[in-house]
Amino acid sequence: MTEVTEPPTKKPKMAEASLENFIENIKNSKKNLMAILSDEFTKPTQFTQVYVGGVNNVQDLSKIIMTLNEKLPLKELQHLKRARKHEVILCSVQYLNTQTQKTIQEYIKEDVYELKDAFKYFKVTSLPAVPPKLKKQQQEFSRVWSCNFHPNAYLEKLCGDQFFSINELIEHRCYMAIAFEVANYYLSKLKDNLLMSDVSESNVNATVVVDPTIKSVVAISYDNRENHPTQHSAMLAIDNVAKTQNGGAWNTADKSGIDNELQSHIKKKFANVKFGTRNYLTKEVLNEQKKNASESPYLCTGYYVYMIREPCVMCSMGLVHARANRVFFCFKNNLKGALSSKTKLHCVPSLNHHFEVFTEFL
Amino acid sequence: MVDFMKRALELASEALSAQEVPVGCVFVINSEIIAESRNIVNATHNPTRHAEINCIDSVIEHCKTHDIDYMSYFQNVTVYVTVEPCIMCAAALSNLRVKEVVYGCANDRFGGKTVLDISNFYDYNYKLVGDLMATEAMALLKQFYKGANPNAPESKAKKEKVSV
Repeated sequence: MTEVTEPPTKKPKMAEASLENFIENIKNSKKNLMAILSDEFTKPTQFTQVYVGGVNNVQDLSKIIMTLNEKLPLKELQHLKRARKHEVILCSVQYLNTQTQKTIQEYIKEDVYELKDAFKYFKVTSLPAVPPKLKKQQQEFSRVWSCNFHPNAYLEKLCGDQFFSINELIEHRCYMAIAFEVANYYLSKLKDNLLMSDVSESNVNATVVVDPTIKSVVAISYDNRENHPTQHSAMLAIDNVAKTQNGGAWNTADKSGIDNELQSHIKKKFANVKFGTRNYLTKEVLNEQKKNASESPYLCTGYYVYMIREPCVMCSMGLVHARANRVFFCFKNNLKGALSSKTKLHCVPSLNHHFEVFTEFL
Repeated sequence: MVDFMKRALELASEALSAQEVPVGCVFVINSEIIAESRNIVNATHNPTRHAEINCIDSVIEHCKTHDIDYMSYFQNVTVYVTVEPCIMCAAALSNLRVKEVVYGCANDRFGGKTVLDISNFYDYNYKLVGDLMATEAMALLKQFYKGANPNAPESKAKKEKVSV
């Protein structure tokens, strides 16, 4: 057995794969994508300290609850049921501290006089500070207290690992592969034998915008930050979409939203992919033909945006302004990314538009 | 300072007459205006064409034609803008390392400080000064939002009116 002396063959690293092979893998992998969710779904539950009283006589429970609801409403703890077995929530520790210097015993005795003899004991307990959003959170909560819970089937699915059907997954992976093919197209003008690392370990980014209602590529862009500091691919893509709607500010790409030569290159490699937009109708035309506004494209409303790399703060906010519907990215952008790495811009509640974000293509 | 903001407010009024969200902006180096613009979002059908982004473009253009390194050029720029830069513009100005940003009124819908403080994500932060002629800047915005955005789809404009 001569093989014994040979060193074990090293598994080739991902980074050594050719870009062509890598694109094939992106396209053909069956791995489902994952949504990037706000912290309330991913971080451990926040607890808050609450005074709980053990009642002397369980028969008095409903009367006690009625009195408490009147004198000490739960307010920010509405998601919690008032009672559990023989214990009832009195109020949060913070609430009592802001109201009075009294202890809970003194407070009940003096300020909720009707209940002065109702309790056997008082204690402080940690209870969930926010309502459960998911079944698994509800299950976790129910071990400590009973909660009001309204299950949301869409949220449950979004938080799971089987969100997209196999056919949807094929489409998303195909559009992501096109984003990489865009990089391949431009980079191959500069260099032969491209490796995956030529894309993964650089600033290279490309954006593909898709109208899912007609399954068609609307706009494509390739990062131009080397020549212009705000011409990141998402910003260019937003402008290219504008060009398909009688607008646009930058003198780039074709009026169709995609550079002509690039489009024919992509068509050769992705024969089944459709290009083009729904007809853009001006407001005047919509009014004239008595059509609903939704019959014309408006900015990136309803569009899916596929990017090689997680967009930066500027680009992410640009996509919010553009009202993109979903953003997909492959690589994290640890230094500048705003949809996962540095912040989750799409989860900032006070913004007027929120898109969904998906990743885990690898 | 006040004169530069006055000019920015003029540009904002111009935007209002053109049925754009009334925000105006001037870029200043050594007390001299080197770029000025206003919102052109509706005209370009591009929601990123804010006054600041347009000014950045015109500075880049200027630097390219005069063979100037734009990064060192931006270091001396003070931005006067009638409304606090949005998260997108604040990030762009931070990337370009402008010296200072002076704004009129706060932007409680999109502000790069008020809504999400982007200085948390950047090593470099420009000096940020607010509340210069804020009343005038806010008055223009109020005038705009009294009427519906003419470019928003009909249904949305109606919905927003109902919710107000």
